[in-house]
Amino acid sequence: HKRHMRGAGGGGCPAGGNDFQWCFSQVKGAIDEDVAEADIISTVEFNYSGDLLATGDKGGRVVIFQREQENKSRPHSRGEYNVYSTFQSHEPEFDYLKSLEIEEKINKIRWLPQQNAAHFLLSTNDKTIKLWKISERDKRAEGYNLKDEDGRLRDPFRVTALRVPILKPMDLMVEASPRRIFANAHTYHINSISVNSDHETYLSADDLRINLWHLEITDRSFNIVDIKPANMEELTEVITAAEFHPHQCNVLVYSSSKGTVRLCDMRSSALCDRHSKFFEEPEDPSSRSFFSEIISSISDVKFSHSGRYMMTRDYLSVKVWDLNMESRPVETHQVHEYLRSKLCSLYENDCIFDKFECCWNGSDSAIMTGSYNNFFRMFDRNARRDVTLEASRENSKPRASLKPRKVCTGGKRKKDEISVDSLDFNKKILHTAWHPLENIIAVAATNNLYIFQDKIN
Amino acid sequence: MECALDAQSLISISLRKIHSSRTQRGGIKLHKNLLVSYVLRNARQLYLSERYAELYRRQQQQQQQQQQPPHHQHQHLAYAAPGMPASAADFGPLQVGGGGDAEAREPAARHQLHQLHQLHQLHLQQQLHQHQHPAPRGCAAAAGASAGGAGALSELPGCAALQPPHGAPHRGQPLEPLQPGPAPLPLPLPPPAPAALCLRDPRASAACSAPSAPPGATPPAAAASPPASPAPASSPGFYRGAYPAPSDFGVHCSSQTTVLDLDTHVVTTVENGYLHQDCCASAHCPCCGQGAPGPGLASATGCKRKYYPGQEEEDEDEEDAGDLGAEPPGGAPFAPCKRARFEDFCPDSSPDASNISNLISIFGSGFSGLVSRQPDSSEQPPPLNGQLCAKQALASLGAWTRAIVAF
Repeated sequence: HKRHMRGAGGGGCPAGGNDFQWCFSQVKGAIDEDVAEADIISTVEFNYSGDLLATGDKGGRVVIFQREQENKSRPHSRGEYNVYSTFQSHEPEFDYLKSLEIEEKINKIRWLPQQNAAHFLLSTNDKTIKLWKISERDKRAEGYNLKDEDGRLRDPFRVTALRVPILKPMDLMVEASPRRIFANAHTYHINSISVNSDHETYLSADDLRINLWHLEITDRSFNIVDIKPANMEELTEVITAAEFHPHQCNVLVYSSSKGTVRLCDMRSSALCDRHSKFFEEPEDPSSRSFFSEIISSISDVKFSHSGRYMMTRDYLSVKVWDLNMESRPVETHQVHEYLRSKLCSLYENDCIFDKFECCWNGSDSAIMTGSYNNFFRMFDRNARRDVTLEASRENSKPRASLKPRKVCTGGKRKKDEISVDSLDFNKKILHTAWHPLENIIAVAATNNLYIFQDKIN
Repeated sequence: MECALDAQSLISISLRKIHSSRTQRGGIKLHKNLLVSYVLRNARQLYLSERYAELYRRQQQQQQQQQQPPHHQHQHLAYAAPGMPASAADFGPLQVGGGGDAEAREPAARHQLHQLHQLHQLHLQQQLHQHQHPAPRGCAAAAGASAGGAGALSELPGCAALQPPHGAPHRGQPLEPLQPGPAPLPLPLPPPAPAALCLRDPRASAACSAPSAPPGATPPAAAASPPASPAPASSPGFYRGAYPAPSDFGVHCSSQTTVLDLDTHVVTTVENGYLHQDCCASAHCPCCGQGAPGPGLASATGCKRKYYPGQEEEDEDEEDAGDLGAEPPGGAPFAPCKRARFEDFCPDSSPDASNISNLISIFGSGFSGLVSRQPDSSEQPPPLNGQLCAKQALASLGAWTRAIVAF
């Protein structure tokens, strides 16, 4: 049986705390070489139980997968994810006042903790956040008095007897309906949303401001961080990501394009412009280049499940920080250091602006992030080991083990290694998610969603 | 760090990115443009530090040649003042009048600048063809041409752009002398691009917009009249989504910046002036020569007006470049922007050299409101609205800020 992975760090994974043995489980999405822009996945998120997996795409759609219950008669299907609900969350809009088109691309999805039979999630594009309710309907009432089975109203004079309608089972129908729309609160592009541990409020962050919302109230939000300078010409940094602490509902962090993270305590003042903690690692002057500012910009920040650590992702590395130490990270993991000498080309083709995300596993013992050529990297913090894996159709046989990949940085290329110049920079893995309790990961490769599971047996 | 591209290529690539971001879906991305501006700053710093080093070397050489007969003295004097890069005259096309032979000195080194100049010329061409959109006002002057001004580039240190070389490895390329003259544009930029970078003021006269000769045609003329260009910011309707900016990406001296505050929808025009080494380097920049502050560019400074967004769409449809942005219906009157010439002067810089970490220093402009200017004695006092025009393509970099500011 599987051990639950929860724990304040340090708990080994079921495979003995050593190597994960990742196997292909499923892939979702079209196989075509020609990828429609709208199908490109832009966010991936498991819910709190891990039974639901939501993806958002550039076309503004949300697709939710649900894990099948384990079936004794089909032991191999070990909890496959199948489509549960699909809906159009956001549409393209036009801001007439500013003559701007607003993209429908879903930037982030965040689930709410489940409180009843329905599921709730927040999805956001650049400007508007929506609260969606996803509910099931598997029963239908029949035997109404005032209308026929097909819905036509009956003539009241024809009603000679009364009956009580009864509920009859029907095919499961999953409905998604927008329950709240939180609009018009952001001048700049929203990059993050984060649900607070109080389950009543959430934050939304754009380039220069962070707003606090109550889930029930759509016509008002409180601005809690504002880094817009009085004189926009003095702008030096923008907010790149923000998140609430998983347990302390008054604590949030936000990262900046300058590679710093600020931790704010909402108890200290209404406007958290002054941080409580400031996390910054001094720059190494010997590695200075034209692109130093770009590669130090943080693209993602995530608290560990324990709340003791946080992780930041910049262009070439992931760093783990202890919240009690602001001066430098406790761990730095190189994701693709071989790209450092290619920054010029990556600047030319815009890849240097790619925003990679990162995620923790349930026990905080491992972290994962994406790279190019459909590679993704995993770092086992306890064993101090890392591995590079690939999401590709070639390795898509059921339960096939993933073979570790290696990038050759120079000199003689060994067999099975791939050289830096052969990497496909159009195949980038920006979004990954790790099941909160088990070793199941979801990896978005352009328009395909790969699901891998750890071989336990 | 090794880079396959030199500073100048990086600059042009960055400009292209900023320009294309204007037409991307979803509006201009503040974050990306901010990062691109950092690359621009870094590239500019390296570029300038290289040039400065080169110019200084030439000056040293020139000083060694000071023993020449007196009739050469005049020419040399203009350039050989202590502390001044002797090769100011070398930047031929940007000079007025003579010095033709001077610029022949380092053909190789000029090529880069020439390319930029060509870019600028192309930009001017675009302006020429767009009659309803006269050239932007407030172009940086860059090229003060007064020969008499002593051309003393004593202001060099004042150029914020002239940061001390920050240790970036010298790229090992000799600075190429700027060759005057025709030649097809070497840069593959699409025509609209440079033009797009240029701010336009509907009320400015067409004079500023049109180079008097097609690029290729008369090098001296072209040289003598640096394109009216891309003032970084003077056009109204400039959004203040990202960075304002003017300036100079090193080259021009003064510019206006107009920003639209997205929150309040108030348009503010600010004069800024900034002396840059490049403009000083062009031989006769009087602003470089004189340190005394002159009358500021008063009228348009800090004037506010409401922005009317509807106009932008219109403008964009009309123009080839397609990205100018709305012109406000009213507002402060702007004097026609006449063709920039070397006689025009550029305002003194407001040195903000120490702070290179913010946008002001990135773009080399100090938004200090009134900017002091020292008109050349032989000149009429320039109209207040600063039709000083950038003299080089690098100067036009200020104009592109409009692209990134528009939001």
